[in-house]
Amino acid sequence: MKQITKILTLSAVALALSACSTGLDRSRSLLNPDVSGHTLAQQVCSICHGDVGSNVNGNSVNPTFPILAGQQEVYIVAELQEFQTHHRKDDAGQAMMWGITRDMTPKQMKELAEYFSHQKPLPNPGTAEADPAMVKAGQKIFNEGFLEKAVPPCMACHGANAEGNGPIPRLAGQHADYLYKQLMAFNDDAQREEENEKHHLNSNGDDLERPAGVAMEGIAHGLSDMQKHEVSLYLQSLK
Amino acid sequence: MKLTSLLERARRPLLALLGVVTLAASMDASAIPVFARQTGFKCVACHVGGEYPQLTSLGRMFKLTGYTLGNANDIFNLTTNIDRPPVAVMLQTARQYYTNTTPAAGNGSAPSSSFDLQVVSLFTGGHITDNLGAFVQWTWNKYDGNITSGSQYTQSSGIDNTEFRWADRIVGKDTDLIYGFYANNRSTMSDVWNSTENWTSDWIGYFNGGGAQAPGTFLMGSSAQHAEVGAGAYVFKDKTWYGELGVYKSITHGPLSFMTGGATGSGGVPELDPSPYYRFAYNKEWGPHSFQAGIHGMTSYVHNNDVLGYSDWSGSVSTYRDYGIDAQYQYVLDPHYFSAHFRVTHEDMNNVLGMPNSSGLVPTNPTDTLNETWADVTYIYKAKYGAMLFYHGATGSNDTGLYAFTPNGSPNWQSWMPSVFWAPAQNIRIGYMYTFYTQMGGTSGQMAGANNLSAHDFNTSMLYATLIY
Repeated sequence: MKQITKILTLSAVALALSACSTGLDRSRSLLNPDVSGHTLAQQVCSICHGDVGSNVNGNSVNPTFPILAGQQEVYIVAELQEFQTHHRKDDAGQAMMWGITRDMTPKQMKELAEYFSHQKPLPNPGTAEADPAMVKAGQKIFNEGFLEKAVPPCMACHGANAEGNGPIPRLAGQHADYLYKQLMAFNDDAQREEENEKHHLNSNGDDLERPAGVAMEGIAHGLSDMQKHEVSLYLQSLK
Repeated sequence: MKLTSLLERARRPLLALLGVVTLAASMDASAIPVFARQTGFKCVACHVGGEYPQLTSLGRMFKLTGYTLGNANDIFNLTTNIDRPPVAVMLQTARQYYTNTTPAAGNGSAPSSSFDLQVVSLFTGGHITDNLGAFVQWTWNKYDGNITSGSQYTQSSGIDNTEFRWADRIVGKDTDLIYGFYANNRSTMSDVWNSTENWTSDWIGYFNGGGAQAPGTFLMGSSAQHAEVGAGAYVFKDKTWYGELGVYKSITHGPLSFMTGGATGSGGVPELDPSPYYRFAYNKEWGPHSFQAGIHGMTSYVHNNDVLGYSDWSGSVSTYRDYGIDAQYQYVLDPHYFSAHFRVTHEDMNNVLGMPNSSGLVPTNPTDTLNETWADVTYIYKAKYGAMLFYHGATGSNDTGLYAFTPNGSPNWQSWMPSVFWAPAQNIRIGYMYTFYTQMGGTSGQMAGANNLSAHDFNTSMLYATLIY
């Protein structure tokens, strides 16, 4: 009898609590397709990709997480798909974004991308700490490339202000640490491809961290680690 | 010692270690515990350097929003994802080494000769509804924590850290407000900064030889762990301001008693009248850094034991008024993870003369004070290799009744604990920690009341391997 009372009381408590549900507009469920992309941006994405005080503006604080404000809509959708299919496997992406996108619907991806692409990117506070000489050297690479190693100017594809275009991401104001890590991922992919070629293997890109970024492999491989830092710092300083 | 004899002695620990590594290496790398299954995150997303229990900013938000984030069905849908079961297990195999191994000499009556499975925890919880979530832990300890009583082979099993949370987050262009309510079974379990007791950085089963001569405040040390139930409410505004109020009471009967099941024994468990708990904090995050500083406190109304030493609901009440400050700093940006924590808690005790308190000790003074200090630093590289250093100690008024291990009754003690570990996979940790006691009973020399042992006689170290699946 005691047990029954206990079970009944607990059920009543649970029902009462569920009745206090704040509804779809404030859900953090990543499984429910009815939750809008806008709600997900507020309740979930903003935790990492948000600013302090104005969490939903897409300007992340910790450089682990890229700034999404003003990012190209097409690019955001493409990356969400890359995470969902586990094609994109850089460490931080795997650790977090595989889970986030696990059950995301195309509609939610589209809504999220639309939302963040319309947010205003803010000047990156990391700029103040950057060595001006390195920023200047990065600017040269951005504008002129590094022709010795057949690296074309970044601006040729990413735009004069690194604003991006469709599937080509906006890089302006992005965290330098994030950019550097991505350049390293492309660089490592280039080495993996070289190895595969040497051994006549065709991995179909399964062993690559960012197979969709194949265009970046040669470029990242052509830049020294120092140059990667320089160009990342310059891009971070752009507004 | 001859090499062969050394190898012989090390054989069992090494074999056990090898066993754990082999077992773990054969498992699916993505197969990990309750919240990881729910969110699809790796450990490193919510824990600093991937090492529990220290929470990252994301981990804090996950907890403060009621453990609800993720890909889990609402419980009322009556369906579940078979491939994401909300259960997990933690195994800890370890061996302790004690400086003094003389049995029943106030120390050393502890397990010391074998490398064996010492702790098993089962977990469940996570998302229940969009607003309601839980963290439920049940633990079996091979040796119990109470090794100084001489009952070294007493096993214990029962409910461990358990919490239910209901939370809502209101997010707008310029607003971010989380508010929620919780019910849990230990004060400081609601902590998200690892700067108070329940989730300190050394969160691991550890059968330390020095416990009885190292008194702590009621809130941080000897409180009614998992034998009390508290209800509280909290707010977290703009990831900056945090406030929390709760009230705790011992529960032994009724529907909520499942939250204290196995933790309420017949004797020795403190029984609390309703006791208020509070916490306020300021939090700041910039770049890869985060900082928190705040105050905490609890006034505990605790029933004294009866003259036979049993918990006594009808007996007189001692009051422990604890209040203090705590702080955290974190740097989280792969490959470097760093954190530091600090807290100091002051306690004013109002004792009842002539009555044994809830620990069975009879105080000599009507009032006593105690100041407990804790500090730790952690560095983890690539979420794989880590080192920590802890400081823990207390100073306070002399009371020969409470602290009988020295003639003058000084509670003063100090300890340092370096620790290193390696995480070959995200759900495995292999490590070694060493506790150096530099002062006990107000002295670094012999304590007349403790079989003439000195502080350093209580030094304890542990080699361990944990697996979470």
